[in-house]
Amino acid sequence: MSQGENGLAVETRGLVKKYGAFTAVDNLDLKIERGETYGLLGPNGSGKTTTIKVLCDLLKPTGGEAFLLGKKVGDNSIAPRIGYMPQETALYLDLSINDNICLFGEVYGMSRAEIASAEKELLEFVDLTKWRNTPVSNLSGGMRHRTSLACSMIHNPELLFMDEPTVGVDPELRASFWEYFETLGKRGATVVITTHYMDEAHRCGKIGVMRQGKLIAEGSPQDIIQSTGCGSLEDAFLELARKGGHHAD
Amino acid sequence: MRIKRALAITKRIFRGLRHDRRTVALIILAPVLAMTLFGIAFSGEVEDVDVIVVDHDGSDLSNTIIGNLDEQTLNIRFMDSEQEAVKKVEDGNAWAVFVFPEDFSQNIATKNAVIHLRGDKSNVNVASAIATTLREAMTETLTQAGGEMPVSVSESPVYGEDAEFIDFFVPGIMAFAIFLLTTLLTLLAFVGERTSGTLERLKASPMRDGEIVLGYVIAFGVIGMVQAFLLLIIATVGFNITIEGNPFLAYIIVALLALVSVNLGILLSAAAKREAQAVQFLPMIILPTFLLAGIFWPVEAIPSFLRWASFAIPPTYGVEAMRSVMVRGWGLGEIWMELVVLLAFALVFMILSVKSLQRGKG
Ligand SMILES: Nc1ncnc2c1ncn2[C@@H]1O[C@H](COP(=O)(O)OP(=O)(O)OP(=O)(O)O)[C@@H](O)[C@H]1O
Ligand SMILES: [Mg+2]
Repeated sequence: MSQGENGLAVETRGLVKKYGAFTAVDNLDLKIERGETYGLLGPNGSGKTTTIKVLCDLLKPTGGEAFLLGKKVGDNSIAPRIGYMPQETALYLDLSINDNICLFGEVYGMSRAEIASAEKELLEFVDLTKWRNTPVSNLSGGMRHRTSLACSMIHNPELLFMDEPTVGVDPELRASFWEYFETLGKRGATVVITTHYMDEAHRCGKIGVMRQGKLIAEGSPQDIIQSTGCGSLEDAFLELARKGGHHAD
Repeated sequence: MRIKRALAITKRIFRGLRHDRRTVALIILAPVLAMTLFGIAFSGEVEDVDVIVVDHDGSDLSNTIIGNLDEQTLNIRFMDSEQEAVKKVEDGNAWAVFVFPEDFSQNIATKNAVIHLRGDKSNVNVASAIATTLREAMTETLTQAGGEMPVSVSESPVYGEDAEFIDFFVPGIMAFAIFLLTTLLTLLAFVGERTSGTLERLKASPMRDGEIVLGYVIAFGVIGMVQAFLLLIIATVGFNITIEGNPFLAYIIVALLALVSVNLGILLSAAAKREAQAVQFLPMIILPTFLLAGIFWPVEAIPSFLRWASFAIPPTYGVEAMRSVMVRGWGLGEIWMELVVLLAFALVFMILSVKSLQRGKG
């Protein structure tokens, strides 16, 4: 493991993000180990995307501190080492899959040969090899999502943030995605994923449940199920969401 | 700052054009159409103006004056009744009636000869063309008769010998077209970058804000140069405009103006959330530029209380410099001031546009 200020991939201390008077992230303390596959869960609007954007230095925190790979967020040495897959597709529709991937490869300073070999592997993984030269505007929603995923991983990042990467992806591919994420974990990469699918949450080494900008539960899927005394992760999740009175019936 | 990363942005803009016929059409057709239409519309002087002559005098003198009226400018008809002739003007079938009274030639001796001009002066350009033609015909008649005006003006132009109105406004149209199109293209492209989320993706990468801006500057700067080339070709080949000065210098002006425009486009994109909103900015760019930049009306014709606004907008300097190079044949030594001002605008806008990328972080 590479040496940082400490061993953590992600650490936040009292992180706060407000939009005007509205608090989207409320005093968040996150600790994510390197090599971990971390699932960030929570109902719509609980602050998952906002948290990721603050971590990727796309939004300035209102309060608190955040560190990635031992460096304070904002440090220029972080960006080349992380990958970010936004919740929206965020691709150039006029460009082919290949052009999109090459652009991001170039942006990360990769050579042509490096891009070519990484692209080959990624396209096989997302099963888009034969669509390589098709403009993204001609692809289906799920295919765009797969392209977006490939773009965020072209530079083989140590730390990967993926905001709902499997939305609209068919079950077969979702399964292969997760196999791939697990391979990444084995290679030592840290993967932070948001999802609304409980079967996916099950495959995470650790999950954190957010509600109204706060982390209300954290642990392995088993820990979460046990701590709530529920039979399944699904029930546990609903139980947690209910407890605060936010989703009261 | 890594030029390679900036060039990656430039490359993707050009690659995108391969699949975007609409934008390519806008890039090529807009300047071609603008120059052609303006050229055709403004190259002609006022011609074929319908006028009616009522000659009650019927003398040699009145005939000579009538014969000296420029037939290219005027379409002359003759009538006997002044009333009927004026009725034609009232009905909009003619622009003016020239009436030579019965005693016209007799009154010459007492210097009381009068030609009555009953005109429709609702169109200033037509009215002034009629008055000028009549005056020229009289001067010519006088000269033919051996008479001389006691004073004459001998003209030998310092600049713009043989220059017509089209020579005056072509440099203006060039500067205007480049300014408008570059701003518009950048604005649309950058709004797309913001709304699709690709900008965010770039910002999460090692890409610096300045590199993104530079990538855009290079791409749309090159596009602006291509457009300027098209405009110059049409102006020189199609409308016989001669470029008195160094065309290369004209190119430098265009490049600076494009630099200003790209950054203005990026700046405006920060205020627009959607493409539709971006389009709403158009009148805000077009109108002041059209009215205040000295394209059709000299800045001197703008009321003095508003003239500061002319000097506050960049295209004014582009138009002025362009005109100096193309019509006056001036060189760097004479137009450096305009270039410096444009460069200053470009730098300020560039700093602001980079800053505008950092904002929005909230
Ligand atoms: N730019 C913004 N301005 C104001 N409020 C915002 C902005 N972006 C997000 N919010 C608010 O912040 C809260 C958290 O939003 P966020 O997108 O982080 O939620 P999320 O957990 O990612 O939800 P989802 O599961 O729907 O993706 C929401 O209530 C949202 O309305
Ligand atoms: Mg979200």
